[in-house]
Amino acid sequence: MAQIEQSDKGGKKKGAQKKMSIHVDFTPMVDMNMLLITFFMLCTTMIKSQTLNISLPSNEKIESEEQQSKAKNSEAITLILTSERDAKGNVKEDGQGKMNIIYYYEGKPFVEDKDKDGLIDPSPDGYGVVRAERFVGNEGGVEQGIRKILHNKNKEALAKINEQKKLWRDKQISDEEYQKRAKEIRNDSTLVRPVVIIKATPEASWESVITALDEMQINQISRYQIDNINQVDSAMILDYLAKNPKH
Amino acid sequence: MGKVKIKRKSTLIDMTAMSDVTVLLLTFFMLTSTFLTKEPVTVITPSSVSEIKVPTSNVASILVSPQGKVFISILGEADLATFDESWGSENVRKEALQAAAKRYEEVTGKKTNITAMDLEKFSKIGTFGVPLSVMHEFLALDQTKQDEFVSDMTNPQAGIPMNDIVFQNGDGREEITNEFQIWMRAIYNSSNENLRDAMKKGEGIAVKADAVTNYKTIHGVLDNLQTIKMNRFSVMTALKTEND
Repeated sequence: MAQIEQSDKGGKKKGAQKKMSIHVDFTPMVDMNMLLITFFMLCTTMIKSQTLNISLPSNEKIESEEQQSKAKNSEAITLILTSERDAKGNVKEDGQGKMNIIYYYEGKPFVEDKDKDGLIDPSPDGYGVVRAERFVGNEGGVEQGIRKILHNKNKEALAKINEQKKLWRDKQISDEEYQKRAKEIRNDSTLVRPVVIIKATPEASWESVITALDEMQINQISRYQIDNINQVDSAMILDYLAKNPKH
Repeated sequence: MGKVKIKRKSTLIDMTAMSDVTVLLLTFFMLTSTFLTKEPVTVITPSSVSEIKVPTSNVASILVSPQGKVFISILGEADLATFDESWGSENVRKEALQAAAKRYEEVTGKKTNITAMDLEKFSKIGTFGVPLSVMHEFLALDQTKQDEFVSDMTNPQAGIPMNDIVFQNGDGREEITNEFQIWMRAIYNSSNENLRDAMKKGEGIAVKADAVTNYKTIHGVLDNLQTIKMNRFSVMTALKTEND
């Protein structure tokens, strides 16, 4: 492995120092290092997962109903999440991605059935009617699906925040200043801000719940909460499905 | 006639430089790495735009398998040089097991037979999830057997049970609790105050569940957390950008 070469050129002079050049073969060392690197590369997680903070209302459930009735019809929006599953329990997919469906209605639920045909009558003011949407994100920089609806609901705050965001991008205000101002705008009660209630059916996927919470962040909505689904909601979904049968 | 001398060239390549590079790389990986923690089930978390990182210390993570089995892992203070020894992960785990077993015996009247040896063994386990009634037997198994025990999803004894335990409280009234709630309270009441503060703020409780899991399954866990007034917590997600 390690060779010590003696270089003795010329004649042997007495007393002359022998020149030694030492060669150590580093190949095995490199081999071993490579093995160790491979080991560390395979055993490490470079990407740390992120967390999303949630605060649920406390289990004394008086507050939520009150808040719901307090919110104006134009402000309140209820999202009911559900997922279409196949026989194996996996979420089905179609052309638009995973089949996580959002049924939503604005304002208070409308469940009157005066003509007794088993279907809910059309709402006189357009509020409380169930519609269906999907999580489709942006397409070409334009909001689609449920994001578009939430965006429109919160457009006043979003417009203001985007102004600040532009300033921040141009480095005119600092990161903290931007966060502070954005928070102020989110909580500005003079603006028309939506109150979002997120409900999930038992078969809804966890992903859809997280995506819904995510939409709140993306659309800068400060007032939202997770609530339990009730009978009225289920009845409205059944009614929606009866009126809009699946193909 | 001059002989043609064929010069013999040595094929030795100087590997020193190569060795330098590999050692540097190795150092980099050793310093930046955090090891994958062993978990009974692998879950693929949903993604979100949130950019808050998962804390590496003072966190109680709740892992929910798609089948609805619940596992907990406890991490205490990582830097024991500045904090008391008793704030470290191992001690917090010991205290949690001790407190949970005591509470369990109180409410059910059953014995858990947890010994000092068991506590010692338990303090080394990262992610756990067995009923307290079989904890003693579980800790007596060797490590591979333990891993098999908890990662077998068909095993009815894997996972922390969440069925109701009805008991009479001090005033003689009936109350309902379950082992999951007992565990979370025991962790909360350990002597590590930083962990308690983190749990109060919601950073100290992390719920990890698979993207396709039914909401019903997770709702069971969330509902229990709400019941014990831990209604602020965080959920683990993967990163995605705002546009997709």
